[in-house]
Amino acid sequence: MAAYLQWRRFAFFDREAVKERAGPEGGGGKSLLLPPGIAVCDSGRGSLVFGDMEGQIWFLPRSLELSSFQAYKLRVTHLYQLKQHSILASVGEDEEGINPLVKVWNLEKHDGGNPLCTRIFPAIPGNKPTVVSCLTVHENLNFMAIGFADGSVVLTKGDITRDRHSKTQTLHEGSYPITGLAFRQSGKMTHLFVATTESIQCYTLSVKDYPQHELDTRGCGLRCSTLSDPSQDLQFIVAGDECVYLYQPDERGPCFAFEGQKLIAHWYRGYLVIVSRDRKTSPKSDFAGGDPQNSDKQILNVYDLSNKFIAYSSVFDDVVDVLAEWGCLYVLTRDGKLHALQEKDTQTKLEMLFKKNLFEMAINLARSHHLDSDGLSEIFRQYGDHLYNKGNHDGAIQQYIRTIGKLEPSYVIRKFLDAQRIHNLTAYLQMLHLQSLANADHTTLLLNCYTKLKDIAKLEEFIKTSESEVHFDVEIAIKVLRQAGCYSHAVYLAEKHAHHEWYLKIQLEDIKNYQEALHYIGRLPFEQAESNMKRYGKILMHHAPHETTDLLKILCTDYRPAGDGESLLGPEGRKANPEEFIPIFANNSRELRAFLEHMSEVQPDSPQGVYDTLLELRLQNWAHEQDPKVKERLHNEAISLLKSGRFRSAFDKALVLCQMHSFKDGVLYLYEQGKLFQQIMHYHMQNEQYRKVVEVCELYGDQEPSLWEQALGYFAHKEEDCKEYITAVLKHIEAKNLMPPLLAVQTLAHNSTATLSVIKDYLVCKLQKQSRQIDQDEEKIQKYREETKRIRKEIEELKTSPKIFQKTKCSICTSALELPSVHFLCSHSFHQHCFESYSESGSECPTCMPENRKVMDMIRAQEQKRDLHDQFQHQMKCSNDSFSVVADYFGRGVFNKLTLITDLPPGQSVAGLEAGLQRDLLIHSKRST
Amino acid sequence: MAYAYLFKYIIIGDTGVGKSCLLLQFTDKRFQPVHDLTIGVEFGARMITIEGKQIKLQIWDTAGQESFRSITRSYYRGAAGALLVYDITRRDTFNHLTTWLEDARQHSNSNMVIMLIGNKSDLESRREVKKEEGEAFAQEHGLIFMETSAKTASNVEEAFINTAKEIYQKIQEGVFDINNEANGIKIGPQHAATNATLAGNQGGQQAGGGCC
Repeated sequence: MAAYLQWRRFAFFDREAVKERAGPEGGGGKSLLLPPGIAVCDSGRGSLVFGDMEGQIWFLPRSLELSSFQAYKLRVTHLYQLKQHSILASVGEDEEGINPLVKVWNLEKHDGGNPLCTRIFPAIPGNKPTVVSCLTVHENLNFMAIGFADGSVVLTKGDITRDRHSKTQTLHEGSYPITGLAFRQSGKMTHLFVATTESIQCYTLSVKDYPQHELDTRGCGLRCSTLSDPSQDLQFIVAGDECVYLYQPDERGPCFAFEGQKLIAHWYRGYLVIVSRDRKTSPKSDFAGGDPQNSDKQILNVYDLSNKFIAYSSVFDDVVDVLAEWGCLYVLTRDGKLHALQEKDTQTKLEMLFKKNLFEMAINLARSHHLDSDGLSEIFRQYGDHLYNKGNHDGAIQQYIRTIGKLEPSYVIRKFLDAQRIHNLTAYLQMLHLQSLANADHTTLLLNCYTKLKDIAKLEEFIKTSESEVHFDVEIAIKVLRQAGCYSHAVYLAEKHAHHEWYLKIQLEDIKNYQEALHYIGRLPFEQAESNMKRYGKILMHHAPHETTDLLKILCTDYRPAGDGESLLGPEGRKANPEEFIPIFANNSRELRAFLEHMSEVQPDSPQGVYDTLLELRLQNWAHEQDPKVKERLHNEAISLLKSGRFRSAFDKALVLCQMHSFKDGVLYLYEQGKLFQQIMHYHMQNEQYRKVVEVCELYGDQEPSLWEQALGYFAHKEEDCKEYITAVLKHIEAKNLMPPLLAVQTLAHNSTATLSVIKDYLVCKLQKQSRQIDQDEEKIQKYREETKRIRKEIEELKTSPKIFQKTKCSICTSALELPSVHFLCSHSFHQHCFESYSESGSECPTCMPENRKVMDMIRAQEQKRDLHDQFQHQMKCSNDSFSVVADYFGRGVFNKLTLITDLPPGQSVAGLEAGLQRDLLIHSKRST
Repeated sequence: MAYAYLFKYIIIGDTGVGKSCLLLQFTDKRFQPVHDLTIGVEFGARMITIEGKQIKLQIWDTAGQESFRSITRSYYRGAAGALLVYDITRRDTFNHLTTWLEDARQHSNSNMVIMLIGNKSDLESRREVKKEEGEAFAQEHGLIFMETSAKTASNVEEAFINTAKEIYQKIQEGVFDINNEANGIKIGPQHAATNATLAGNQGGQQAGGGCC
């Protein structure tokens, strides 16, 4: 039973006897033997220090070359090597009797080969000499404590290497021998633990008067106390026979029930080393635990207090002391041999633990050895594998979870991809997500796990807990959820993370909650609302027409995301182009109409498409309507829409629409708008509405006279009796003289019904008119002939009879004519000086000249025109009386051989004759115009 | 760490009832399925808050083995609260409660708050001791009762904190002499001065002794 009540035992240390260094001749290999009589030892500053019964102090450095010096004349009883200074404190005797001397050695300075002794003083508490039982020195060199067998403790304060600055006082007096002393420095607090055989005390040295505190009422043997390192909170460790107790400066700490009579307690690098007497051979214990005469078997245990195991355990013969130096633990036995205990490296230790499947312990060990996370995760993995192989899947997954971040997740996932272990897998994946190390596949897998487990609550939690940060790829999660049929969750996710497309897709395609989808769209910002509406509008329209229309109305007029109260005060809402939404309304013309009507009412500047479509709709309705009243109303609506002036630019479209639906009034209106009078007439003609035809002619005849002609032609072709109209038309034609009568007659000749009576009036009227014209013309001809005759006569006269100039006044200055004067045949006379100053050319009459010029120009122009055949042709074409054009050209002398003779240069022989001819011509032409 | 009060607890009960696991769950929030036997007395600490006051719980986890009884007895003294633990899947641990209670009452101060805890409540299928039995026992002996699971951490916090509340209430009622450290209650460093003047002048020298 006793064995059972112990910690697990390992062999984390290798035991080895310290051998002598191999000499140059290769004669090594012998165990190192220390000189006999070693009574005390310590270590530090790179050497082991021994004190023997002869008063010598021995040093054993790493090179294992022993050296010594005589420190005391009789014997050395205590040694204390400081760890941070090359200072050694010793207690020994120089003379017989009880007179212990303290010597402080400076090992760096030498005095004739020996270390320099810097201070010697007797160790006496009060005035009664007694045996020193223990010695300790504070590392700051300011405190030294000496314990005595009579129960007193002497504290030396101040620089311990010098007499001058130190003060010695008796700190403690008691009746039990002092067995252990230890300084504890923690921050600014300095404590001195004092152990006696019957009690444990603690003095606070950093407080005035050194207050004392009793920690326990049981003590320990000599050398059975030590101070732990910071890994155990610098606790004072007291190895009692039943238990090992740990003490804080103010109270008792935990205790460990290590059995056996303790001989030595030593702290070594996180381990507690305890040498105890083998229980079977142990006699009754007493104060002198380390009695050198006793040569029993002794057990050395190395305890790891934090991880709770025995790191090493071995049996030794008669241990003198345990020393730690050079990274090893050394055990000195009475026979002068030194045993080294070398700690194994962490990896070896871990492997030993793995072999025994003590993974939990391995993990703790690795932690306390500050193994890096890679190493730890490797342990977790091995542990996980081990548990997995044992079938403990729950446990295994716990370990695998701890590998997250180091181990490839697929390693674990593969192991658990079994239907029965799906909750393990789920746990793993959950952790993976929590640490944000999951990729898309992991998310998919996890969600699949949830859905397979039907663990809706967990699923919800997974989705909803990630308030601040998302541990997974939302889009993939949505996809997976959707596939798995968890639509509500998918929708939740999509909504939360603003994946509007997904939200709508699922809402519409899977859940088919159209109302909700509509509300959702209504809450979106404008762009998204618009694009989503375009995408899903059709479906929505199909299932929730009215609501969709309402939303569209808002969207196209003054859109603001719903529930956004603030923006009401903000800038104008945005508008979508309603035209783009029209396709949504396919097959739902009622809603479309409502929408479009709303649009055209609310927003006068809507795009053309809106009006086009609206018109189309109205026309459709109109066309299909049976009830005459409603039809009437619809008719009016369509017309008003047409008249609203929206179709100015899209005239053709509207026209096509009206024609398609044979919307008469609309078509006519449009024709009128577009000034397509011919079409209007044709329209009426097609519909055989004669009255209308005539009306149209009357209305638009002024703008387009050919209407009449057409009307006449139309009526002429009619077999019916429409004399009335023909008469009307003819009357008009006559009034406006739109058609030559021959043509009119010809046109009417086609008609079998149109009798002579129809055109009789017309013809009579026409003939009368023309005969009147003829009369007039003849009158004129007569007149012109007479004039011509007269002019000829005049010319004759000029040529043959003399001219008498009787003018008495100058035509320029109107004063009496006097010589020299100039006379012209045109019977103008001038003073010569007047003529010269006034006239431009010497051969022309200045008074007649402007008139003559004009006439000359006209003649010249006619001459030129005569050759312009193109113009002639053009005039022929344009004119409605081409005969007159031809006559005109005859008049201009197209076929005359006559050429106009312009002014000859002066001084020519024929000048006189020419001039005469010219004047004749001039006079003639002047008369004729 | 600054605290207003320090309460010392002791956890007692038969071996294997889950004392160390309860402590581990309370202090480290983890569960170790394989736990070595506690030999001697172990120690754990945690800060809690009661009525806005920081309270440090110092918990002594004792070995349940009969052979360690003499060692653990010395830790009863100076504990303000005790968690008396049995295992609901083992009736004998419940049967030994009387002995443990006698032991505790004998070695501790009379005001010690004792909470009875039926541990391993997650192993419902293997239950041997009914909850009602635990309740009845607690009622009979004037204990607080609770069933916990160190594995699932169910009620573990509550067990420790409710005990602390009880102690705190007793302090407010003046049942405990807070200046006597033997009662297992210590006043925090920063509160020592004010409390000492309130409680009387005897606290002066005590504060000096326990200044760390």
